[in-house]
Amino acid sequence: MERQSNREGIKGMLNPTRYGIERVAYWLQRLTGLGLLFYFIGHVIETSAIVNGKAAWDNMLELTQTTEGHIILILVIGMSAYHTANGIRVMLGHGGIGVGKPGTPDYPYKAASLNYKQRASIWISIALAIIAMLYGAGVLFGD
Amino acid sequence: MIKMRESVIMKIHYGTALGAVALVAIHILFRMTQNFTVSLQYENVIANYHLLPYSLMLEVVLILLSIHGFNGLRVILLELKQGIGYEKIVNWGCISAMTALVAYGSRTILMAGMGIS
Repeated sequence: MERQSNREGIKGMLNPTRYGIERVAYWLQRLTGLGLLFYFIGHVIETSAIVNGKAAWDNMLELTQTTEGHIILILVIGMSAYHTANGIRVMLGHGGIGVGKPGTPDYPYKAASLNYKQRASIWISIALAIIAMLYGAGVLFGD
Repeated sequence: MIKMRESVIMKIHYGTALGAVALVAIHILFRMTQNFTVSLQYENVIANYHLLPYSLMLEVVLILLSIHGFNGLRVILLELKQGIGYEKIVNWGCISAMTALVAYGSRTILMAGMGIS
Protein backbone atom coordinates (compact mmCIF):
# COMPACT_ATOMS: atom_id res chain seq x y z
CA MET A 1 0.00 0.00 0.00
CA GLU A 2 2.82 2.38 1.01
CA ARG A 3 4.62 1.61 -2.25
CA GLN A 4 1.46 2.17 -4.30
CA SER A 5 0.87 5.62 -2.80
CA ASN A 6 4.36 6.74 -3.83
CA ARG A 7 3.75 5.86 -7.46
CA GLU A 8 3.18 9.00 -9.51
CA GLY A 9 2.58 7.24 -12.81
CA ILE A 10 2.43 9.34 -15.96
CA LYS A 11 2.30 12.62 -13.96
CA GLY A 12 5.64 11.87 -12.33
CA MET A 13 7.16 10.84 -15.64
CA LEU A 14 6.06 14.03 -17.39
CA ASN A 15 6.94 16.47 -14.57
CA PRO A 16 9.68 18.66 -16.10
CA THR A 17 10.04 21.00 -13.11
CA ARG A 18 11.97 18.75 -10.75
CA TYR A 19 15.13 17.80 -12.63
CA GLY A 20 15.83 20.68 -15.01
CA ILE A 21 16.80 20.36 -18.67
CA GLU A 22 17.64 16.64 -18.31
CA ARG A 23 14.00 15.84 -17.50
CA VAL A 24 12.82 18.05 -20.38
CA ALA A 25 15.17 16.13 -22.70
CA TYR A 26 13.87 12.83 -21.24
CA TRP A 27 10.21 13.51 -21.92
CA LEU A 28 10.85 15.22 -25.25
CA GLN A 29 12.68 12.04 -26.30
CA ARG A 30 9.65 9.94 -25.32
CA LEU A 31 7.04 12.29 -26.80
CA THR A 32 8.92 12.58 -30.10
CA GLY A 33 9.40 8.79 -30.09
CA LEU A 34 5.67 8.21 -29.68
CA GLY A 35 4.88 10.85 -32.31
CA LEU A 36 7.29 9.25 -34.75
CA LEU A 37 5.87 5.76 -34.09
CA PHE A 38 2.33 7.01 -34.82
CA TYR A 39 3.59 8.74 -37.97
CA PHE A 40 5.47 5.59 -39.05
CA ILE A 41 2.34 3.42 -38.66
CA GLY A 42 0.32 6.05 -40.58
CA HIS A 43 3.02 6.24 -43.28
CA VAL A 44 3.02 2.45 -43.80
CA ILE A 45 -0.80 2.51 -44.09
CA GLU A 46 -0.95 5.57 -46.41
CA THR A 47 1.74 4.26 -48.77
CA SER A 48 -0.15 0.94 -49.10
CA ALA A 49 -2.55 2.89 -51.36
CA ILE A 50 0.01 2.42 -54.14
CA VAL A 51 -1.10 -1.21 -54.63
CA ASN A 52 -4.67 -0.06 -55.39
CA GLY A 53 -3.66 1.80 -58.55
CA LYS A 54 -3.09 5.39 -59.69
CA ALA A 55 -6.54 6.71 -58.68
CA ALA A 56 -6.20 5.46 -55.10
CA TRP A 57 -2.65 6.87 -54.87
CA ASP A 58 -3.75 10.27 -56.19
CA ASN A 59 -6.68 10.32 -53.73
CA MET A 60 -4.30 9.61 -50.86
CA LEU A 61 -1.90 12.32 -52.07
CA GLU A 62 -4.78 14.81 -52.20
CA LEU A 63 -5.37 14.16 -48.51
CA THR A 64 -1.72 14.58 -47.51
CA GLN A 65 -0.58 17.33 -49.89
CA THR A 66 -2.48 20.02 -48.03
CA THR A 67 -1.38 22.82 -45.70
CA GLU A 68 -2.35 20.68 -42.68
CA GLY A 69 -0.50 17.68 -44.16
CA HIS A 70 2.61 19.81 -44.68
CA ILE A 71 2.45 21.16 -41.12
CA ILE A 72 2.27 17.58 -39.79
CA LEU A 73 5.26 16.67 -41.99
CA ILE A 74 7.24 19.68 -40.67
CA LEU A 75 6.51 18.53 -37.10
CA VAL A 76 7.66 15.03 -38.06
CA ILE A 77 10.92 16.50 -39.45
CA GLY A 78 11.49 18.36 -36.17
CA MET A 79 10.69 15.27 -34.10
CA SER A 80 13.06 13.14 -36.20
CA ALA A 81 15.91 15.63 -35.89
CA TYR A 82 15.50 15.99 -32.11
CA HIS A 83 14.98 12.25 -31.49
CA THR A 84 18.08 11.38 -33.55
CA ALA A 85 20.42 14.01 -32.08
CA ASN A 86 19.27 13.49 -28.49
CA GLY A 87 19.28 9.71 -28.99
CA ILE A 88 22.96 9.85 -30.03
CA ARG A 89 23.63 11.94 -26.89
CA VAL A 90 21.91 9.29 -24.74
CA MET A 91 23.93 6.50 -26.41
CA LEU A 92 27.18 8.37 -25.76
CA GLY A 93 26.08 8.96 -22.17
CA HIS A 94 25.40 5.25 -21.68
CA GLY A 95 28.90 4.61 -22.99
CA GLY A 96 30.30 7.00 -20.38
CA ILE A 97 31.14 9.77 -22.85
CA GLY A 98 30.29 13.26 -21.60
CA VAL A 99 29.33 12.01 -18.16
CA GLY A 100 30.90 13.86 -15.22
CA LYS A 101 33.49 12.26 -12.93
CA PRO A 102 32.22 10.88 -9.62
CA GLY A 103 33.14 12.93 -6.56
CA THR A 104 32.29 13.30 -2.88
CA PRO A 105 28.76 14.65 -2.37
CA ASP A 106 29.69 18.04 -0.85
CA TYR A 107 27.11 20.73 -0.17
CA PRO A 108 25.70 22.41 -2.29
CA TYR A 109 24.99 19.14 -4.08
CA LYS A 110 25.58 19.28 -7.80
CA ALA A 111 24.73 16.30 -9.99
CA ALA A 112 27.85 14.98 -11.68
CA SER A 113 25.80 12.79 -14.00
CA LEU A 114 25.76 15.29 -16.85
CA ASN A 115 28.59 17.68 -17.59
CA TYR A 116 28.45 20.76 -19.81
CA LYS A 117 29.04 18.73 -23.02
CA GLN A 118 25.92 16.65 -22.40
CA ARG A 119 23.87 19.69 -21.37
CA ALA A 120 25.05 21.60 -24.47
CA SER A 121 24.10 18.58 -26.60
CA ILE A 122 20.49 18.85 -25.39
CA TRP A 123 20.31 22.47 -26.56
CA ILE A 124 22.09 21.57 -29.82
CA SER A 125 19.46 18.84 -30.40
CA ILE A 126 16.66 21.37 -29.92
CA ALA A 127 18.42 23.87 -32.21
CA LEU A 128 18.94 21.19 -34.90
CA ALA A 129 15.24 20.31 -34.74
CA ILE A 130 14.28 23.96 -35.30
CA ILE A 131 16.74 24.32 -38.22
CA ALA A 132 15.45 21.07 -39.79
CA MET A 133 11.84 22.26 -39.43
CA LEU A 134 12.67 25.59 -41.11
CA TYR A 135 14.43 23.77 -43.97
CA GLY A 136 11.50 21.36 -44.31
CA ALA A 137 9.04 24.26 -44.39
CA GLY A 138 11.13 25.84 -47.17
CA VAL A 139 11.00 22.65 -49.25
CA LEU A 140 7.31 21.85 -48.63
CA PHE A 141 5.89 25.34 -48.97
CA GLY A 142 8.45 26.48 -51.53
CA ASP A 143 7.03 24.17 -54.26
CA MET B 1 10.05 -18.80 -24.07
CA ILE B 2 13.35 -17.14 -25.00
CA LYS B 3 14.44 -14.64 -22.37
CA MET B 4 16.67 -11.80 -23.44
CA ARG B 5 18.56 -9.52 -21.07
CA GLU B 6 17.42 -5.89 -21.11
CA SER B 7 21.05 -4.84 -21.76
CA VAL B 8 21.03 -6.91 -24.98
CA ILE B 9 17.64 -5.43 -25.94
CA MET B 10 19.03 -1.91 -25.45
CA LYS B 11 22.00 -2.73 -27.70
CA ILE B 12 19.51 -3.89 -30.35
CA HIS B 13 17.54 -0.67 -29.73
CA TYR B 14 20.62 1.48 -30.34
CA GLY B 15 21.79 -0.62 -33.31
CA THR B 16 18.42 -0.41 -35.04
CA ALA B 17 18.39 3.36 -34.40
CA LEU B 18 21.77 3.93 -36.04
CA GLY B 19 20.90 1.68 -38.98
CA ALA B 20 17.54 3.38 -39.46
CA VAL B 21 19.05 6.90 -39.39
CA ALA B 22 21.43 6.04 -42.24
CA LEU B 23 18.79 4.29 -44.36
CA VAL B 24 16.00 6.83 -43.74
CA ALA B 25 18.44 9.53 -44.91
CA ILE B 26 18.75 7.63 -48.24
CA HIS B 27 14.95 7.21 -48.35
CA ILE B 28 14.48 10.99 -47.95
CA LEU B 29 17.24 11.77 -50.49
CA PHE B 30 15.24 9.76 -53.06
CA ARG B 31 12.44 12.32 -52.65
CA MET B 32 14.94 15.16 -53.13
CA THR B 33 16.36 13.89 -56.44
CA GLN B 34 13.63 15.94 -58.12
CA ASN B 35 10.91 18.37 -57.09
CA PHE B 36 9.22 16.98 -53.94
CA THR B 37 5.68 16.94 -55.42
CA VAL B 38 6.88 15.45 -58.73
CA SER B 39 8.81 12.72 -56.89
CA LEU B 40 5.53 11.60 -55.27
CA GLN B 41 3.74 11.06 -58.59
CA TYR B 42 2.43 7.50 -59.08
CA GLU B 43 4.81 6.62 -61.94
CA ASN B 44 7.87 7.84 -59.99
CA VAL B 45 6.92 5.97 -56.80
CA ILE B 46 6.21 2.74 -58.74
CA ALA B 47 9.58 3.14 -60.51
CA ASN B 48 11.23 3.39 -57.07
CA TYR B 49 9.54 0.14 -55.94
CA HIS B 50 10.67 -1.63 -59.15
CA LEU B 51 14.28 -0.82 -58.26
CA LEU B 52 15.31 -3.98 -56.37
CA PRO B 53 18.09 -2.47 -54.17
CA TYR B 54 15.71 0.34 -53.14
CA SER B 55 12.90 -2.12 -52.34
CA LEU B 56 15.27 -4.22 -50.27
CA MET B 57 16.39 -1.09 -48.45
CA LEU B 58 12.74 -0.17 -47.74
CA GLU B 59 12.20 -3.65 -46.28
CA VAL B 60 15.24 -3.26 -44.02
CA VAL B 61 14.05 0.23 -42.94
CA LEU B 62 10.60 -1.21 -42.20
CA ILE B 63 12.08 -3.95 -39.98
CA LEU B 64 14.58 -1.66 -38.22
CA LEU B 65 12.00 1.08 -37.47
CA SER B 66 9.37 -1.43 -36.35
CA ILE B 67 11.77 -3.08 -33.90
CA HIS B 68 13.03 0.30 -32.64
CA GLY B 69 9.60 1.93 -32.45
CA PHE B 70 7.74 -0.87 -30.70
CA ASN B 71 10.63 -1.58 -28.34
CA GLY B 72 10.62 2.14 -27.47
CA LEU B 73 6.89 1.95 -26.78
CA ARG B 74 7.48 -1.18 -24.65
CA VAL B 75 10.15 0.65 -22.61
CA ILE B 76 7.82 3.64 -22.02
CA LEU B 77 4.94 1.37 -20.94
CA LEU B 78 7.20 -0.63 -18.61
CA GLU B 79 8.53 2.58 -17.03
CA LEU B 80 4.96 3.59 -16.18
CA LYS B 81 3.85 0.38 -14.50
CA GLN B 82 5.33 -2.96 -13.50
CA GLY B 83 3.92 -6.37 -12.71
CA ILE B 84 4.31 -9.90 -14.10
CA GLY B 85 0.95 -9.97 -15.91
CA TYR B 86 1.22 -6.39 -17.16
CA GLU B 87 4.77 -6.90 -18.44
CA LYS B 88 3.74 -10.05 -20.31
CA ILE B 89 0.83 -8.23 -21.98
CA VAL B 90 3.07 -5.27 -22.94
CA ASN B 91 5.88 -7.50 -24.25
CA TRP B 92 3.63 -9.72 -26.35
CA GLY B 93 1.41 -6.82 -27.43
CA CYS B 94 4.43 -4.93 -28.78
CA ILE B 95 5.86 -8.02 -30.50
CA SER B 96 2.47 -8.73 -32.13
CA ALA B 97 2.00 -5.12 -33.28
CA MET B 98 5.54 -5.05 -34.64
CA THR B 99 5.01 -8.30 -36.57
CA ALA B 100 1.69 -7.07 -37.96
CA LEU B 101 3.23 -3.79 -39.16
CA VAL B 102 6.21 -5.55 -40.79
CA ALA B 103 3.83 -8.00 -42.51
CA TYR B 104 1.56 -5.20 -43.78
CA GLY B 105 4.47 -3.05 -45.01
CA SER B 106 6.17 -6.06 -46.66
CA ARG B 107 2.93 -6.81 -48.50
CA THR B 108 3.00 -3.28 -50.01
CA ILE B 109 6.68 -3.54 -50.97
CA LEU B 110 6.17 -6.98 -52.56
CA MET B 111 2.97 -6.12 -54.43
CA ALA B 112 4.23 -2.75 -55.70
CA GLY B 113 7.62 -4.23 -56.61
CA MET B 114 6.07 -7.09 -58.57
CA GLY B 115 3.44 -4.90 -60.22
CA ILE B 116 0.49 -6.66 -58.53
CA SER B 117 -2.44 -4.30 -57.98
